[in-house]
Amino acid sequence: MAATGPDHDRLQDSAGLYVLGALAPAERVEFERHLQSCEDCAAEVRSLAGVATALPYAVPLVDPPSSLRSRVLAVTGRPTTAPAHVVALPTRAGHSRPWVSSIGWLSAAALLIVAVALGVYSTSLQREISNLRTEVSDLHARLNQSDQRVAAATRLVTLADARMAVLTAPDLTQVDLQGQQPVAPQASGRAFYSRTRGLVFTASDLPPLRTGRTYQLWLVTAQAPVSAGVFEIDNGGRVTQTFSTASDVARPVAIAVTEEPAGGVPAPTGEKYLVGLTH
Amino acid sequence: MWLLWAVLSTVSESAAEDRSAFDRMARGDQEALAQIYDRHGRLVYSLAFRILRDQSDAEDVVQDVFSQAWRQASRYDASRGSVLGWLLTLTRSRAIDRLRGRRSRPEPSSDEGALNSIPDPAAPADVQAASAAQATHIRAALDGLTVLQRVAIELAFYEGLTHAEIAERLELPLGTVKTRIRQGLLKLRERLAGAV
Repeated sequence: MAATGPDHDRLQDSAGLYVLGALAPAERVEFERHLQSCEDCAAEVRSLAGVATALPYAVPLVDPPSSLRSRVLAVTGRPTTAPAHVVALPTRAGHSRPWVSSIGWLSAAALLIVAVALGVYSTSLQREISNLRTEVSDLHARLNQSDQRVAAATRLVTLADARMAVLTAPDLTQVDLQGQQPVAPQASGRAFYSRTRGLVFTASDLPPLRTGRTYQLWLVTAQAPVSAGVFEIDNGGRVTQTFSTASDVARPVAIAVTEEPAGGVPAPTGEKYLVGLTH
Repeated sequence: MWLLWAVLSTVSESAAEDRSAFDRMARGDQEALAQIYDRHGRLVYSLAFRILRDQSDAEDVVQDVFSQAWRQASRYDASRGSVLGWLLTLTRSRAIDRLRGRRSRPEPSSDEGALNSIPDPAAPADVQAASAAQATHIRAALDGLTVLQRVAIELAFYEGLTHAEIAERLELPLGTVKTRIRQGLLKLRERLAGAV
């Protein structure tokens, strides 16, 4: 009979269960009846039976206990001979240990599923960790920025405080400074000096200096110029800076700005850029 | 089908020696039984142990199997299959019976089912002694199945579960189990055939 028809279509899938002996009795009877008339299914059953028969060869090999041999030979009802040469089937290393066998394929399959699941889980965890790392790193960067802003603001407030302290000092003196020929004819500046609290200095139109040179501010006393500190100008030639000055400095007769080597010097050596006389 | 033929080929020196040993067993030669045990005891025990996962039960089954071989050697019909194939079929059948008894559920004897596994002698599907390489091929072929195909086949083969029990265990529809098992066996056949 041709391998078509509703019976064949419905029954052909049973071949696998049939050769493994797993069909329910009623189904088995029906399938066997079908096999009588369907050469295709019968041929498939023969060939799949061969496959099923091959399955035992794949079991993990386990060494039987040595006592089993005498037990088996005792079935003859005669005394057993000493073990002849024991022909051990070749085996792959690790396949003869009972625990390996007791795990078995089913457990191996389960383990595989678990392993795959763990692998997937681990991959997703890694992705999450990586995301979190990025986020933490971003937050860290933002925190750093915030810290820097706070530090900058604190610095500004401190500066403003210091400046305010100077500007509100009872002994405040204001000194206007003029740009000097020929280096800074356009420059001008102003200093607010309190002997007790320090000096606030502001200037504009100062020319940029060569690399390695700096501006230095001096309290010019009757005895000698005393350094108040060095300063840099911004791109527009402007500066506003607060200097703390020693309170034991003699009353200055003038305030001056000179150009000096970077870092400043103990006594002025360079060109005067701004000079203002105290009153 | 080349490999399957090689694995399952009837023509093999080993199979001839087995048949000769069975002939001598039929004449009461205890040495012949020892020879068969020494040749195949390990695989028979391994199969029983794989199914029962218990050393003592596996030993009992091995003893049963060789005892039956001793008693029935005279009735052994070489045309029905190889000695080793017969031993393994019997081992699986006995072990699964014991397994079902352990589950203490009334089950039909698996003998009938196991007999289904005895291939048509006309087909080139008679099992002979498999070398380690052949076992490796079969394992590799099994590795090529989907997890579901493999587990379903193993539940039927090693646990002796029925169609319905497998479906229940795997929480799959009956039709899916049926299809997976057939597809798995067809794929095994194909892989064993194409492995050379």
